[in-house]
Amino acid sequence: MTTDPNETLDADPLGLTPQVSRELRPCASYTLRVNGFERPVTDAWIGESLLYVLRERLGLAGAKDGCEQGECGACSVQVDGQLVAGCLVPAALAADSEINTVEGLSAAGGASDVQQALAESGAVQCGYCTPGMAMAVHDLLQRNHRPTEVEARQALCGNLCRCTGYRGVLAAVQSIADGRASDVEEAEETAEQAEQAAAADQPAADRPAEEPAAEPAAAVEPPVYTDADAWIEHVPQPPAEQTPAGAGEPYGDGPGGYDSGVYDTAVLTPVQGIPAQTADDQVYYPPQGYPEQPYQGTPAHGTYVPGGYPQQSGYDTGYDDAPVYQPTPAHGTPLPGTAFDGTPPHGTPYVATPPHGAPAEGTAPAGVPYGATPAHGIRLTEDDHAS
Amino acid sequence: MLPASLDEAVDALAATPAAVPVAGATDLMEAVNAGRLRPAALVGLGRITELRGWRYEDGGTAVLGAGLTHARMDRPDFAALIPALADAARTAGPPQVRNVGTLGGNIVTAAPAGDTLPVLTALEASVTLARAGASREVPVSHLLTGLDPVRPGELLTWVRVPLLHAPQVFLKATGRSGPARATASVALVLDPARRAVRCAVGAVAPVPLRPLEAEAWVAGCIDWDGSREIDPAATAAFGEYVAAACVPDSYGAEGAWEAVTEGPSAAAVRLRRTVSVLARRALGRALK
Repeated sequence: MTTDPNETLDADPLGLTPQVSRELRPCASYTLRVNGFERPVTDAWIGESLLYVLRERLGLAGAKDGCEQGECGACSVQVDGQLVAGCLVPAALAADSEINTVEGLSAAGGASDVQQALAESGAVQCGYCTPGMAMAVHDLLQRNHRPTEVEARQALCGNLCRCTGYRGVLAAVQSIADGRASDVEEAEETAEQAEQAAAADQPAADRPAEEPAAEPAAAVEPPVYTDADAWIEHVPQPPAEQTPAGAGEPYGDGPGGYDSGVYDTAVLTPVQGIPAQTADDQVYYPPQGYPEQPYQGTPAHGTYVPGGYPQQSGYDTGYDDAPVYQPTPAHGTPLPGTAFDGTPPHGTPYVATPPHGAPAEGTAPAGVPYGATPAHGIRLTEDDHAS
Repeated sequence: MLPASLDEAVDALAATPAAVPVAGATDLMEAVNAGRLRPAALVGLGRITELRGWRYEDGGTAVLGAGLTHARMDRPDFAALIPALADAARTAGPPQVRNVGTLGGNIVTAAPAGDTLPVLTALEASVTLARAGASREVPVSHLLTGLDPVRPGELLTWVRVPLLHAPQVFLKATGRSGPARATASVALVLDPARRAVRCAVGAVAPVPLRPLEAEAWVAGCIDWDGSREIDPAATAAFGEYVAAACVPDSYGAEGAWEAVTEGPSAAAVRLRRTVSVLARRALGRALK
């Protein structure tokens, strides 16, 4: 061991690190540019992944360590504007690259529209996959402003979620795309108005520089990073001033309340709450493929449901229009609607149950016995790509 | 080390032969994370921009840079050039992996389920291996089978692929609907100039397999001068022929006792069915 006990204590209090010579453990020092900030990394093993360096050396624990094989997508970060699996990038080789992590999405202090939409569409349960999902959605919407559902599914196919599934995320993608499109239109309208005003004021003046359709998550203030050796208290984020389009009114106990509905309906029905947004004779409809009937919430306890639960007679139901009591029929009376006609009398010839897979009434296709699944090797028409 | 040009990279490899050249690192870092590999040094190839594109050569050949990513090969301009390679790159993995994983890395890793390998084998591609001051040309099949392996200090730089201007198909069977490793894959290309069909089956063996007899037989069944039509029965027979040629009876059998029992093993029967369906569909789509 070294001669200085304090140094040993500080470097490795439990003595877990095996003593490896420098040839076996080649190290490097480099500087990573993370979310626009230069972050020096000193004396790191060259085999360390970008994910490890971000989490353990730079204290950016947003990207999660799922499989370390590039299968799960929980470690997704952007390197040079491309979505990559952080666990599969050698950090030493990302030295000159521009790295964006999920911490960079919330650059202005609050959640970005991507994170807000993911939270509002119920795409979060355990939350482990969510930073990777947020990066994947961010990357998708950078490249494709109006992704179809298939494109969104393809972009998210590398992010595994085992809790909620993907419908919430897909709904979030659509709501973000709708929100950004309406933002762009608003910006264009205000720019046009400013232009007209300027033209009216001074016709000879130059046209005002058109504001590009800035992304709502543009970096305004530097992000706050946790240091590797210091904890920062959780600061509650202020709610976003405007809910993205498509969010609708939450059900349940009001804003921010717990949705009482089933997951899918709770996620998908807010689309129904808003009318089609009309702007410049362009109408945005809610996303395709979702149920069209309005949300019927579970009634509160004690609420009378017409026809829902027949009341027993003899009790004071408290309702004036209580349903009329229908007495239980006598034993042996066939119930209306049931097909059972009682056991036939003795001596009635027995009609055998057809074998499994038998066709109902002569529906068997030619050559296939019983209409069952054809045996393997039988040529199906959809298989025949040669003809 | 992050060399900016090919010469610098080759010199760096010559200076430290133990260094590992790294392009996309998707296979390398998977091994490093699992503790199977401890690199002595890394030579990053991501800055060598000359290897990230392709060029054309006389004689109808495209010379693809080894640094072409799968995401780049998936784009329409490349897909118009070599459709089967674009199909293979599209199904190779999730976007996170395809954005960085490269063609050259796929060849050098030579994983049994590598998706571009059957395509390159069917196309009879060749690769250029460069070292300081010299380079040599090796067929992909020789490289994959170990007949002519990569020597220390060599770098895979270019992949020479013939442009056939004919239908090409890559089909892959996986265990799930998302991106996954292939259980079997079939690449099939038509070569109308030589009146040949070239087919390679991947992921059923350590290297892609070429059913040469089945290719020669089915090429004789095709009406090359006319509408390139073929009897559907011949297509189905081609599938069976390819499957029987590529999957041995003892596939999946553990130990000699099972290998000597009568008939093909259950795993072989199942895999043969998969391969035969893939090969039949591939030929059907190529001749459609």
